[in-house]
Amino acid sequence: MIPVEYYVALSAILFTIGGIGFLVRRNVIVTLMSIEIMLNAVNVAFVAFNRSRFDNHTGQIFGFFLIAAEAAEVAVGLAIVLSLFRVRRTVRSDEADLLKN
Amino acid sequence: MKDLLSSLFPANDFSLIAVVMALPLLGAFVNGVFGRRLGKDAVRLMTLAVTGASFAAAIATFIALDSAVAGTRTTEMVTEHGGAAAHEVVKHGHAKLVWTAWEWMRTSGLRDVSIPIDLKFSVDALSGVMMLVVTGVGFLIHVYASSYMEKDKAYWRFFCYLNLFVFSMLVLILADNLPVLFIGWEGVGLCSYLLIGFWYDKTPNAAAGKKAFIANRIGDFGLLCGMFLLVYYTGALDWTGIANGAQNLVSPSDAAQVHLWPIGGGQFQDASFGGLRVPLSWLQPNKAWTITGATAVSLALFLGCTGKSAQLPLYVWLPDAMAGPTPVSALIHAATMVTAGVYLICRLSFVFVLSPPVMMMIAFTGALTALFAAILALVQNDIKKVLAYSTVSQLGFMFLGVGVGAFTAGFFHVFTHAFFKACLFLGAGSVIHAMHVRVHDDDRSQDMRNMGGLRKFMPLTFGTFVASTLAIIGFPLTSGFFSKDEILAHALVNTPVNPYAAQLTARHIDVWQAPGWMSWMLWGMGVVAATLTAFYMCRAVFMTFFGDFRGWTIGRPSQVLAKSGKHSAADDDGPADHEAGEGDHDGHHHEEDLSMPGPPPAESPRAVTIPLIILGTAAIVAGLFNPGMIKMISPHFDFLPMDNWLEPVFEEASKGVRLPEEHTMHSREWISTVAAFLAFAVGTYVAYWAYVVQKGKHEVAYLSGATKLAAGFSGVLFVVLGGVILGVNAKEAFTVHMIVPWALVLGGIWLAYHCVKERAVGLDYVYDRSIVVGVDALADTAASVDQGLVDFIIARLTALIVAALGTVLRVVQNGVVHVYAAMMVLGLAIVGWFFIQPHADATVADLGNGDYVVSAAPGTGYGYRWFPDAKGAPQNEKFGPGDSLKVHLDEGTSKTVKVEVKNSFSNALDLPVVRWLFPPTPAKEVTMSRPKVEKPVKLELGER
Repeated sequence: MIPVEYYVALSAILFTIGGIGFLVRRNVIVTLMSIEIMLNAVNVAFVAFNRSRFDNHTGQIFGFFLIAAEAAEVAVGLAIVLSLFRVRRTVRSDEADLLKN
Repeated sequence: MKDLLSSLFPANDFSLIAVVMALPLLGAFVNGVFGRRLGKDAVRLMTLAVTGASFAAAIATFIALDSAVAGTRTTEMVTEHGGAAAHEVVKHGHAKLVWTAWEWMRTSGLRDVSIPIDLKFSVDALSGVMMLVVTGVGFLIHVYASSYMEKDKAYWRFFCYLNLFVFSMLVLILADNLPVLFIGWEGVGLCSYLLIGFWYDKTPNAAAGKKAFIANRIGDFGLLCGMFLLVYYTGALDWTGIANGAQNLVSPSDAAQVHLWPIGGGQFQDASFGGLRVPLSWLQPNKAWTITGATAVSLALFLGCTGKSAQLPLYVWLPDAMAGPTPVSALIHAATMVTAGVYLICRLSFVFVLSPPVMMMIAFTGALTALFAAILALVQNDIKKVLAYSTVSQLGFMFLGVGVGAFTAGFFHVFTHAFFKACLFLGAGSVIHAMHVRVHDDDRSQDMRNMGGLRKFMPLTFGTFVASTLAIIGFPLTSGFFSKDEILAHALVNTPVNPYAAQLTARHIDVWQAPGWMSWMLWGMGVVAATLTAFYMCRAVFMTFFGDFRGWTIGRPSQVLAKSGKHSAADDDGPADHEAGEGDHDGHHHEEDLSMPGPPPAESPRAVTIPLIILGTAAIVAGLFNPGMIKMISPHFDFLPMDNWLEPVFEEASKGVRLPEEHTMHSREWISTVAAFLAFAVGTYVAYWAYVVQKGKHEVAYLSGATKLAAGFSGVLFVVLGGVILGVNAKEAFTVHMIVPWALVLGGIWLAYHCVKERAVGLDYVYDRSIVVGVDALADTAASVDQGLVDFIIARLTALIVAALGTVLRVVQNGVVHVYAAMMVLGLAIVGWFFIQPHADATVADLGNGDYVVSAAPGTGYGYRWFPDAKGAPQNEKFGPGDSLKVHLDEGTSKTVKVEVKNSFSNALDLPVVRWLFPPTPAKEVTMSRPKVEKPVKLELGER
């Protein structure tokens, strides 16, 4: 059996990739994808830790909830991207600075 | 009738009082809320119905009270002059009808005694008479006002206020304890304010209302202090309770004294601030300056009375209060409200007599006010102002009466004054009404120099005005003659003494005694004031009703033509105009009126004249209720209804008066009577000579001279005040202690000189130049602090800080989502670090017997390492879960324990990065010490 530390390490690596991608990339679509990666990293950690709990499935159920939340978040996020594109003809987040100052 | 009353209303639940009081309140409510829509006729009906019914209920109450008094009546035989002639003397007990509305509140006094304060009302001999006066005279004045105010737009508002006033005055009179009296006291003050400023769109009227309110506030402060002191010393606030506890007020024990200096009875010692010695001990007197509780209470209550009853030094509001409608002047500022102070002193007479110095002070204040106001009345040309100053002066007489312990005489003057002064004011209102029809100008229609000869036009007003003038100047056998003469006679005869003087002297406590010259001084001032009263009242009558009507010259077209070019027609309507410099011409003149000469003055309608006739008759005959003068002439005359009626009320207070021997007393009474008659005769004759024989041709010279006299007298007041203090302390008049009276004397002389130069009449000038200037300066200082410090430094500085921070933070808000996200990450990291980094803290619990438990604060995944001795080795090298340590200490030793904390994170990953981020093992040292217990030495009695 693969020890839990490996999953945790995978989760940490995925989270870091997602976080860096979120902070660095300027394309809003990519930013949304990075958020997905981070959320999935959390999902991995949830499920992995749940393995040590024989009496319940809280972590796995929580994973399902997270997936549902992700779906909703992507739907809203893509809608925002679409309307941003309509207004500014771009999907680059650094050009969407209507709230500046 | 009496049986029906007593069966319907038992004496201890006499709910008829509620009817007397509630009806005017109902009228105020209906007129105030619905009056505007109901119209004038309905308002008139409402207001007359409620006041009339209230008067009827008051009469029924009085009948019931009379039968209750009759139940306590006893007859005893008294023998006089060696048993030669024995005659019956009827004595009354103190009967009282009580009605409790509800229990209001309870307060705890000294020694946790619960003091109930109920909304309780009672009527006894004193308040019964007062109640009849208020409702009776009040009803007549309502009838008068219903016609007088006919043309006013705010008819409903006027009667709402007037009914509310009657209600408040009844609360004041019928209250059974001080807090309830205070409600009425404040209520009448409020109504007075509202009615003085009734025509509030005129600035002087609004200012006069404000002035009355503020002057009354000063007095009310005194009344409140008096209440606090009373509840402290006597443990009660209702009349019976105060009477029962009153002897505590003269208790000679140190705790029962009020320490004036050092405040609260403290000690002054030299203070030093870092080597700098501040000598304070010289402020320490050899003997503490104290007054008895009775003096403190009486002083505080008397301050309240000076405010409400317009005595020196707070009289200034009453003359200005004449800005209100004339029925208000008659009802509130002459007949009822202003006598509330005298009523309060009569009501608490048993408290006031316990302090002879304050009694003397009251008498002095009264006499000085009587004299001062009479002098000020000499120079008034406004008919209402003459009557206003005359009211102040007559109130002074009442205070002179109660101050020398002649409570019945003082109260009898309240009674008669209500009739003749109300009649005078209503007559003046009738005159002003008639003049106003012609002149259309408020100020000029009140100016006596525009009147004259009115007796031909308004015979009824003339007759009643003269009748009440005869009463006020003391024409023999009128009401004022009896009441004023009695006050003057008592001023000369009575000496206030402490009722407990014998007991106090037996304990070697000094008891103050009034020097003999004081009686003569008081009496002298009273006689002079009476002379002046006769003069200025006759002057008013002669100027108003005799001679030729001078009003014809007002509004003649020729004058308009002559003066319209100068554009100052309003300022100057007669050759003798404005010598006195009253300053009451305030530019409210309507120039167009000059071209419209109105009709000649005419008699007022019946609703005005009928109250005048009733009050004028009462002014003549009311003296028969207490013709004390006749008793002096024939000793067996004992028709003194008022004396007998009020005797039980003042029974306790009569112990505070010492009368001289019979033969001295008789001679003094004769002196006083003759002098009072001479005062009347001289004053009247001089006025007759000046205004009828000489037809007022010396008026200009007279006014200029009298103005100088009146102006100078403001300073004389201070000289007299200082002189009396010096006279009382004549033995040490030239010591340092007497610096204040000397300053008063010298300052008074300077002030008199200054006022004469400036022609400044009355104390208004003094107040303007001292208190008003001081308050203005304070306001200016506050304004400059506000502008300089608050607005400039604090407000600008705050704005600057906010702007600077905004400038810095604006850089960060650049609209790039990634930067925001990075901020969020940074913030999360900092918060996370704070939660992960372990924090060491520990508390000590003493279990007793030298056992202590040190507990470390808990945290997620924390491990602890304990050092039983902070400097020594740890208990366990490894961090463990044990979060507490037991320690035992011997007596008189102390110990320091240390705990180090690590959390699971720093336990698990011992990497350099982690160690750098999370510095290892924060520690906390706790020191505890056990004190050495001194074993008590056992005292053994030894075995038997």
